[in-house]
Amino acid sequence: MLENYFPILLLLAVALATAVVMMAGSFLVGPKRNYAEKVAQYECGFAPLSRVRLPFDVRFYLLSILFVVFDIEAAFLFPWAVAFKDIGLTGLVEMLLFLMVLLVGYAYIWKKGALEWE
Amino acid sequence: MAVQLPEMNLVLLSPEILLSLVAMGLLLMSAWSGKESRGLIGTMALSGIVLAAVVLAGLSSATPSATMGGHFIDDRLARAMKWLLLIATALPLLMSREYLNQHGLDSGEYYVLTITSLIGAMAMVSAGSFLLLYLGLELMSLSIYVLAAYQRDQLQSTEAGLKYFILGSLASGILLYGTSLVYGATGTTLFTAVANAIKTAEHVSPVLVLGAVLVIIGISFKVAAAPFHMWAPDVYEGAPTSVTAFIAVMPKVAAFTAFFRVLLEAFSALHVHWAPMLQLLAVLTLAVGSLGAIAQSNIKRLLAYSSIGHVGFLLIGLTTGSQLGHQSVVFYLANYIFMSVGAFCLVLVLNRQGIGDQISDYAGLAKKRPLLAFLMSMFMFSMAGIPPLAGFIAKLYVLMAAVKAGLLTLAVISVIFAAIGAFYYLRIVKIIYFDVAEQPFDMEVSLSHQIVLAISALIVLVVGIFPGKLLDWSLASVQSLL
Repeated sequence: MLENYFPILLLLAVALATAVVMMAGSFLVGPKRNYAEKVAQYECGFAPLSRVRLPFDVRFYLLSILFVVFDIEAAFLFPWAVAFKDIGLTGLVEMLLFLMVLLVGYAYIWKKGALEWE
Repeated sequence: MAVQLPEMNLVLLSPEILLSLVAMGLLLMSAWSGKESRGLIGTMALSGIVLAAVVLAGLSSATPSATMGGHFIDDRLARAMKWLLLIATALPLLMSREYLNQHGLDSGEYYVLTITSLIGAMAMVSAGSFLLLYLGLELMSLSIYVLAAYQRDQLQSTEAGLKYFILGSLASGILLYGTSLVYGATGTTLFTAVANAIKTAEHVSPVLVLGAVLVIIGISFKVAAAPFHMWAPDVYEGAPTSVTAFIAVMPKVAAFTAFFRVLLEAFSALHVHWAPMLQLLAVLTLAVGSLGAIAQSNIKRLLAYSSIGHVGFLLIGLTTGSQLGHQSVVFYLANYIFMSVGAFCLVLVLNRQGIGDQISDYAGLAKKRPLLAFLMSMFMFSMAGIPPLAGFIAKLYVLMAAVKAGLLTLAVISVIFAAIGAFYYLRIVKIIYFDVAEQPFDMEVSLSHQIVLAISALIVLVVGIFPGKLLDWSLASVQSLL
């Protein structure tokens, strides 16, 4: 049972070793000539104009959450579409029911104004 | 190539389908209708639950069976637990209306979220596979996270919601990881097929045991068993009180049914592995529940620790692995619902006129409102396990099961912690009866609160004196296990 996973373990070991060797090699062998401009954050050659961690509009979160929900819907549609011929009418009805449930949620967020920016 | 789809007996799912339709309808209603119809939404949510109960009663004559390819089980246990779930949702919903009104929280989404979490819990108790178990658990938990943070303008409430969400997601992740390991070891997610795979395997693979341990940890988080209880006091304190009443009872019923299904249907052959683990959890949980509550000054925090203590007793019943033990768990859960809902309802009632959640605020209640004081003492006595109240019979049966299963040490430890726990219950009674009142107790007890209090008090008293019917019912519901 467990020995079936041995190739994966091997792959993991090789991947880890590769990464460690490459990073250690560049760390040990590579020349280091650091000066202030070189170690600063890179911003198209300018000196940094402001802090990077700015607060931004909470509405972006709302939109991205809604995006995730309906993106998942699409993710469910793909395997259904691939198997569409095999699962026949039952599959069609089930997917329609699923979409109906999502449609209720969609109508709700629309009415609540979550899709409007202002 | 036509795929053979599993048979679908949608009749068995009718309570869940009905509640889903109610939830969706109410969601649309809450978006389209104005403020004046909020009361209507609450009434409709309650009627929806009653209707689901009627449908569930109609199903009771159907022969127990599984559908959806074995993923959905409709047996005596599932039906019994669904009754408890419906009660554990309806009573908190009934008593939350005024509270929501007073705190400006009354909106349709509250009822929608309550019902969706109920649907998730019902899916959990009917789960025949790890997949449906996880789906139900997530639906239940996600709705409850939002409910805990429902008082958005209160820092405590948002903190409670966020804390619950982060720790709950971690627990779900652990559960899912355990499920994937079990799947890797046995090649299936169906409980019965997992049990078969374990029986036919010549030796128990460590991957399977690790998976089982992770699944148990995941569910332990949900019932707030120590050492996975850290979220409970903060969430109970921060969440709106009506929500606290709900999350103190409903998820526990669902999660303990999940324990039944996972431990007795999927991992029954691993009893030697999980029983010691659960015993350890039980002792830790009892210790945290009874010792942690002593220093609390906030009644909601105290009730949180008290519920942790009850979980300790429930775990003992579970770990015996005997029918008597399982019966005692169902019986304990049924009584716990009414004790807890009754106590929280009194917290709601007493919280109304600006008197806070502090235990010291109850000083002298007995002089001004003797009936309320009597009820509060009754619920406290019942939780402490003092006869002739329901809590006593519940504890007695758990202890009987533990002794019969030869777990004498565990029984002795639990009695010691129950005695320690009695201290803080009795302290509340002492404050109510012997301390001098500082605040006025001029609150009115509304009709819905009266109903909830009457039901809980009646059950706690009647079951305490005539426990026979409920005991038979509990026994019948666990007979399909093992």
